[in-house]
Amino acid sequence: SGLERPQVVSHAQQALSYTLFDCKWVPRSARLLCLGSAPRGTGLLQLYELRGGRLALLREIEKAKPIKCGTFGATSLQQRYLATGDFGGNLHIWNLEAPEIPVYSVKGHKEIINSIDGVGGLGIGEGAPEIVTGSRDGTVKVWDPRQKDTPVANMEPVQGESKRDCWTVAFGNAYNQEERVVCAGYDNGDIKLFDLKTMSLRWETNIKNGVCSVEFDRKDVNMNKLVATSLEGKFHVFDMRTQHPTKGFASVSEKAQKSTIWQVRHLPQNRDIFMTSGGAGSLHLWK
Amino acid sequence: MPVWLREYSWRQTGSAVYLSLPLRGLRVTPANIFCTDQYLKVSIPPFLFEAILYAPIDDTNSTAKIGNGIIFFTLYKKEVAMWESLTLANANKEKLQSLRENAVLKAHEKAKEETEAKKVTKQEHKKYALEATMKLEEAERKRIEDLKEKERQKVTKELELWRKQQKDAEKQKRIQKEGELHEKVEQLKENKKEKINKTSIPDEGTSKTRLKATKGHGSYGMFSENLKEEQLPAPRSAATIKINFTSRVFPTALRESRIAEEEEWLRKQAEARRTISADLSELEDLKEDEKNPDWLKDKGNKMFATGNYLAAVNAYNLAVRLNNKLPLLYLNRAACHLKLRNLHKAIEDSSKALELLTPLVPDNENARVKAYVRRGTAFCQLELYTEGLQDYEAALKIDPKNRTIEKDAEKIRHLIQGTTQDS
Repeated sequence: SGLERPQVVSHAQQALSYTLFDCKWVPRSARLLCLGSAPRGTGLLQLYELRGGRLALLREIEKAKPIKCGTFGATSLQQRYLATGDFGGNLHIWNLEAPEIPVYSVKGHKEIINSIDGVGGLGIGEGAPEIVTGSRDGTVKVWDPRQKDTPVANMEPVQGESKRDCWTVAFGNAYNQEERVVCAGYDNGDIKLFDLKTMSLRWETNIKNGVCSVEFDRKDVNMNKLVATSLEGKFHVFDMRTQHPTKGFASVSEKAQKSTIWQVRHLPQNRDIFMTSGGAGSLHLWK
Repeated sequence: MPVWLREYSWRQTGSAVYLSLPLRGLRVTPANIFCTDQYLKVSIPPFLFEAILYAPIDDTNSTAKIGNGIIFFTLYKKEVAMWESLTLANANKEKLQSLRENAVLKAHEKAKEETEAKKVTKQEHKKYALEATMKLEEAERKRIEDLKEKERQKVTKELELWRKQQKDAEKQKRIQKEGELHEKVEQLKENKKEKINKTSIPDEGTSKTRLKATKGHGSYGMFSENLKEEQLPAPRSAATIKINFTSRVFPTALRESRIAEEEEWLRKQAEARRTISADLSELEDLKEDEKNPDWLKDKGNKMFATGNYLAAVNAYNLAVRLNNKLPLLYLNRAACHLKLRNLHKAIEDSSKALELLTPLVPDNENARVKAYVRRGTAFCQLELYTEGLQDYEAALKIDPKNRTIEKDAEKIRHLIQGTTQDS
């Protein structure tokens, strides 16, 4: 006899002796990458493989600065280079086979890079590979790994405006070679949507709580749904298919938990299903 | 005086006594019958039947059958013997009395024991029920766990299978690539030979590619990869988008639940700045600067820094007269009073500052910590250590990481314990 509701089954667990900030599957493999900060203040990358229901540590790489976030989104399937943002505001792209020297490196921001996303890689979608970083210095920058030192787009506050921390960034709408949007969430509750084709601000709104995580349900299709999670246990789902000239995008919101909802991730197999992770250690699966 | 019932008849066997008691027209209930191991009484006011039995009986198992106008007792003897008579012959009044009392006591005790026994059995039943439910729940949990575990095993197997497939595919690719590489090396050698042979090189490019194209699937992968790279658009031309933020005064992140408090604090601050008491005539002589509480506050701070505490107090006093709602003025004046050992004034000013530093937002945390510490110090210098400790602990609550406050609080605690030990 089965159970009435879908159950979340823990497959494997691993205790770690350092602070973990981000975790990503290595594309097309049973391996995953953990990124974080060792107790002595250096950065740590650990590569695990899922074998027989257990996680086996394959590699451990130490770097100068703690690493806050990483993505494989902008790299090809053959290369599988990892792009990371660290506490010093540096963006690096690493070849994990030869991790001593980064393949690409730039001190992109004055303060910690809180969030990173990549698009155009992994055989998904079309267009140039691009990486977007959001930082505590209030700016969001888009980088092309083929262009050194200067970002291809820079979303920064107007002169004299006091900055707000950018907490999260995500690519979307990358359905052909020209179209791209970047969505950024800030600590004062602002969500801004930048259109990279027209290099302009397409939409902004404020959800009254600091925005912890934003994600489109698919980044390589015409933008469909955007989920934004925030402090105080709330998350919003925006319908991105029709933009009202003054009201923007329609949304529904739900107060799911008592604590901060740190992250949202959509299921690769079904874009109507997503999981939110909460401050009390809870995971909720939504449809 | 009760009416004694003396008409009764009885017979006995070795182990039992059968007593029949006629009660014409009287209604009998079990409550009317009272029996202990050696005393039997039936009381239906005003009628009374009493018998002190010859020998003890087993009163728990003995029965009384109430029939039409008659009670039939079956009394089981404790000891198998023949009784000479139903009742004890030589019974005087006192003995009777004591026997009656004993009987009542015994009955009470028996009743008590019975209730105890009942309680115990009830407890046991409850325990049993609880254990049974626990077992059921445990079984249910285990079933769910097993289902989950089975699912996990299934997924693990699938994953392992997939990994094996990947490994095999990779091995194949590697072998293929090696073969390819080998072929390429051979081809390069050939091309070199061709180069040497041909004097003009215009078609070299095309001939190479043609040769490559005819090689088959092996090199096709590489070729198509080159094509794809060229299909990627060039990096965008760099541009900047300027943005504005929804304004927020506080540096902390926005939380909906805190909005009300933060608004109140901001409003208070705004009001405080606006109140200026205009009708103090002495103020007309003052320069423009000296009418500005902020400027006076800065002056006061500077004088405090150079150690001129009296002058600092004067500056703060004037500022307070102009605007008595700025908590920082009181806070700084309290520090001056501490230095001047005006301890009561220091306490007053710290308290006033704390009053003004409501509602409690992260923005005025620093100020509140300072206020508590200053007031605490003043209390301690007045030897009111318990009040001082309270204030230090309040400060620690706001800022638990501050080591100096912690150390000072410890010192005060020791002082208190020292004095209580002495007294």
